[in-house]
Amino acid sequence: MALSGTETDIINCVARLRLATKDQIRRQVGFSLEYIGFLCRDLIRRSYLGFSEGRYFLAKDGINVLLAGETPKIDRKLLKEVAEEVAREISGELKRTVKGIKIPVPMNIGIKKDTGFEAPPGERIKINTDFDFPIEDESLILESNIDKIGIKIEKEKSDDMDKTVRLFKEIHKKGRKGCSRLKTINARLKASKDRYKKVKV
Amino acid sequence: MFVKCAYKEGDEIVFKSQRNAFFEVEHTDFTKKILDNSKVKYIIKEDNLYVVGDEALQFANMFNKDTRRPLSKGVISSTEKEALPIIELLIKSVVGEPAHKGEIVYFSVPGEPLDAEFNVLYHIKIVEGFLKTLGYTPKLINEGHAIILSELAEEDFTGIGLSFGGGMVNVCLSFMSVPIFKFSVAKSGDWIDQQVAMAVDETASRVSAIKELSLDLSKEGGLSKIESALSIYYNHLIEYVIENIKQEFAKARRLPRIANPISIILSGGTSLPKGFSGRFKQILDRLKLPIPVGSVRRASQPLRSVAKGALIAASADESKK
Repeated sequence: MALSGTETDIINCVARLRLATKDQIRRQVGFSLEYIGFLCRDLIRRSYLGFSEGRYFLAKDGINVLLAGETPKIDRKLLKEVAEEVAREISGELKRTVKGIKIPVPMNIGIKKDTGFEAPPGERIKINTDFDFPIEDESLILESNIDKIGIKIEKEKSDDMDKTVRLFKEIHKKGRKGCSRLKTINARLKASKDRYKKVKV
Repeated sequence: MFVKCAYKEGDEIVFKSQRNAFFEVEHTDFTKKILDNSKVKYIIKEDNLYVVGDEALQFANMFNKDTRRPLSKGVISSTEKEALPIIELLIKSVVGEPAHKGEIVYFSVPGEPLDAEFNVLYHIKIVEGFLKTLGYTPKLINEGHAIILSELAEEDFTGIGLSFGGGMVNVCLSFMSVPIFKFSVAKSGDWIDQQVAMAVDETASRVSAIKELSLDLSKEGGLSKIESALSIYYNHLIEYVIENIKQEFAKARRLPRIANPISIILSGGTSLPKGFSGRFKQILDRLKLPIPVGSVRRASQPLRSVAKGALIAASADESKK
C-alpha cells in the first residue's frame, strides 16, 4: 500500500529528528495530536516506524522508503544532510585512498554552462571589445642572411588598380546599405511570423 | 606555402614572397660559408642552422625527408617549436619597415574551419600583435574575400572566391563586396601531398615537387603512379569543397537575391596544375550549386591574388584618411 503525502511527511520528520515525540511531529507536519497518533500507530503496524520510551524512530521499511527514489517522497534537504554526514565520516578514509592517484584531463573539455539564456539558433555572439596584445619580436634573436641575399620580387603594372579601389569604395557602401536593408526586411518578416504563430495558438 | 606581400610603387605593384618552409642542416662554419656563397637563405637560432625558402624543399628532397613548416593548416603551427620566431622573421622580411608610422597593412586570415577542432583567433592575435610591434596598423581580411576584391571588380565584387592554399581551402561568397558567408576546410595541398605520399610510399616533399612541376589534370592516360594518385586526391578535394559550399548555402539564413549567374574564381598554389579549372568545372556540373554559376576561371595570377586583394582593401582604407 503506497504512502500518503502526510505519512511521508511524518517519516521525513522522524528521519530528520532521529527520535521524535508525537508533539514534535505535530508541530512539523500539522494536524491534531490525535490524528498524528492515529497515523503513527498505522505506520508502526506497517513497519515504517518503531516506538520506544515515548519516541518514534524509523523502522526497516521507513529507511527503505527514504532511500527509494522512484516517487517524489524524498526530502531533498534531509537527503543532503544525511549525505553530508556520510561524506564527513568517510572523507578521511577517501583522502587516504585517493592520495597520489593522478587523473589525466582531456584536452577538449566541453564544459557547458547553463546561462539561462538561449540564443536563437544560428545567431552568433559578436565580440565587440578588443584589447592590444603586445607581441615580442622573437626574430631579433635569430641570425640570418635573408636581408643580404634579398627575397623574391615580382612586379606587374598597376593600370586598373586605382579604378578598382574607387569601384570598391562605391560598391562597398552600396553593398552594406543593401545588406542592412535585407536584415531589416528579414527582422520584420520574422516578427510577423511570430505574431501569426501566437494568433494561431 | 608562401608568405607574400604586395605594395604599390609608382605605377607598379611589387610582390615580395618567401616560401614558408625550413630544413635543419649541420651547423658548421664551413656549411655557413657554402650557403652564403651559393646565395642560399638560412636562419641561425642558438646552435641550429636552418635553410629557408625554396632551397629548403630541395634539401629535404636530397635527404629524403620533409621540410618543417612554421604555418600548418593556414595558421601558426602548434607543434612546431620554432614556429613563432621563424614566421616573424619571414613576415618581417616581406613587409619590411612601415613607410610611415601606423601605415595600414591588411593581412589575410583563413575562415573558421568547418572540419577541424581549432579556431584562428590565436593566429590572428599573434600576427596582428607582431605587425603592431613593427609599427603598422594591422587589419584583417578573409583570404577568399581578398580574391574577390582582386578579380571581380568588373562584376561588382559579386561571386565566389576560392583560395586553394597549402594548408586550407578558403571560400567566400560575396555580394557587392560584402561577404555573405566565408569558411575554410583543413584539407588542401598539404593534405594531398601527405595522402599521396602514404599511398605510394614517397615523401610529401617529393610528391609536392612533382605536383608543382609536372602534374596535368587534363591528361587522361599515361600517368605515373604518383600522378594517378594526385589526380584521385585532387578529385576528392574538389568534391569535398563543393559539398561544403552547398551545405553553407543550405545553412545560410540571409541570402541576397542574386539575379545574374555568378563567377567562381580559383586561386592559390594548389590550383596551379594544368587542367585544374577544367576538373573543377566538370565536378561542379555534376554536383550543382543552388545558384546559377556563370564562369569558373582561375585568377589571372593565382599566387598573387590574395596579396593584391589585401592591397586593394588597404588602399581603399588608406585613402579614407
